[in-house]
Amino acid sequence: MTSRILNILLAVLATLLALASLLWAPGELVEVSKRAPDVARAILIELRLPRMILGLAIGAVLGLTGAALQGLLRNPLAAPDVLGSSTGAAFGAVLASYYLGIGGTLGLALGGMTGAVTALLLLLLLAGPAATTASLILAGVAISALASALTNLALSLAPSPFALYDVLFWLLGSLADRSLDHVLFALPPMIVGGWLALSTRRGIDALALGEEVASSLGQNVAAMRMKIVIGTGLAVGAAVAVAGAIGFIGLVVPHLVRPFVGHRPGAAMIPSALAGACLLTAADLFVRVPIAGQELKLGVVTAMLGCPFFLWLILRGRARAAS
Amino acid sequence: MGTLIRRLVGLAALLASPATAAPQRVASLNLCTDELVLLLADRAQLASVTKLGADARETRLAHRAAGLHRNNGRMESVAGLVPDLVITGGGANRYAAEMARRMGTRVVDVPPPTTIDELRRNVRSVAAALAQPARGEAVIAHLDARLGAVPARQRSAVLLSGGGYTVRPDGLSAGLARYAGLVQQSYPSDRVALDRLLANPPEVIVISRYRAGQASLHQMWLAHPALKRLPASTRIVEIDGRSWTCLGPLIADEVARLRERLQ
Repeated sequence: MTSRILNILLAVLATLLALASLLWAPGELVEVSKRAPDVARAILIELRLPRMILGLAIGAVLGLTGAALQGLLRNPLAAPDVLGSSTGAAFGAVLASYYLGIGGTLGLALGGMTGAVTALLLLLLLAGPAATTASLILAGVAISALASALTNLALSLAPSPFALYDVLFWLLGSLADRSLDHVLFALPPMIVGGWLALSTRRGIDALALGEEVASSLGQNVAAMRMKIVIGTGLAVGAAVAVAGAIGFIGLVVPHLVRPFVGHRPGAAMIPSALAGACLLTAADLFVRVPIAGQELKLGVVTAMLGCPFFLWLILRGRARAAS
Repeated sequence: MGTLIRRLVGLAALLASPATAAPQRVASLNLCTDELVLLLADRAQLASVTKLGADARETRLAHRAAGLHRNNGRMESVAGLVPDLVITGGGANRYAAEMARRMGTRVVDVPPPTTIDELRRNVRSVAAALAQPARGEAVIAHLDARLGAVPARQRSAVLLSGGGYTVRPDGLSAGLARYAGLVQQSYPSDRVALDRLLANPPEVIVISRYRAGQASLHQMWLAHPALKRLPASTRIVEIDGRSWTCLGPLIADEVARLRERLQ
């Protein structure tokens, strides 16, 4: 299957899922529109539309940045959440909201982006220029643990006794009840960040052959690295700020699309963005169905999907090493 | 003769019982027990309340805690005061209660009430421990008088706080709301989504703005523009959320005020 056909199929699927997200429970919507047309319009424009846009955009940037990081680091385990940028974003958002007094959606978005970029810069600094797989993963785990510990410390010392409860629920991830303000604050950094990461897609194929080969082919590896780090920081920071920590999309999605694009990291980027949008929108539709009277959190659903995949990756790696 | 001896033995046991001696250094280790001791004890009996109990953003009785030692809810923070009675608030204080018992300090544990009867029982239990039974009965009489009878007219309602979180329709908050003429609606996970609220609005929405002036993700939810699209037939009432945290005897005045505002 060519990349073009894959992209078209994924775009069609994303469109269908987006429509389902917008018109979920159509019977109820029709009934409300007959009874109160203004209320039905408000549900569609002020609640469902932001939810749909954020689901598509956040899924897309998580898939895209996961593919970009896996290409940059030549490591199948690289993803924004594995490398500490999601936890960095959470720490930045908590700091901005509870300590720096930058309230509202803007404070969350600014704090989230700063935290995510800082975490990734720290990762590159810790792992060094000749980073091995093990050193990158170790550095990512260390940064993630540090950011989580700092978040917990910040919450323990927070002026409000309910801050921990407040943030815990936010970190579980959700797209429910977001407004057009959230879209306004989160979409521009996600677009800029996504574009920065995407602009490396031609060079990143050369990087698969090694940094020296990529440099000899005229690629500026340092610039590419900075574009992906800053792009991931902006996009993931904004995403975490509005939707909480949604894990595993960035890890899983590039693996799902790579077999269809000839295992070229650059070619996997756009399909990863589209597949990420599809996966997150589908997960968000799933959480709207109450199970045993309880509503699941989005981050819980993506983790339930992603954890078995992560285990499968480990087992496959072990099987390959043995053979 | 036998009866007389039994009565004398009973009287002696009663006099020897530490429960009868009014405690003079009482430490409360929980916001909700702080409210009870601040209502029921003589000022001279109190040695310590929690930091939250002295915080006016948490309780209407904070002014009564002025000048008292403030603890962090743990036994270590009051051990130096050598309390003769420690009052704990159920599961959240269980380790503090265990430690107090190991130290030989008398402990009265007051778990959060789940019914109005349990609320009355908690008041009586703390009043008895403080040797202030008459004050306890007066508080209960005030509680019952302010709650009054459940009004005949009941309106559908949502007790709403930040983040869309609400209460169980079979819980104590919902039970108390009935005395204000409100029937709490049921939602999955006790959380109401805005689209559900707009599609099926109740007759009354009671909003509790906990620490409204403080940055909070849950408070941000209450500023969602869609909340302004509720139909005019839905009445929105804002209340002082502090008394709803503990659901102690102070709640009766809040319920009465809510009922008066809705009439």
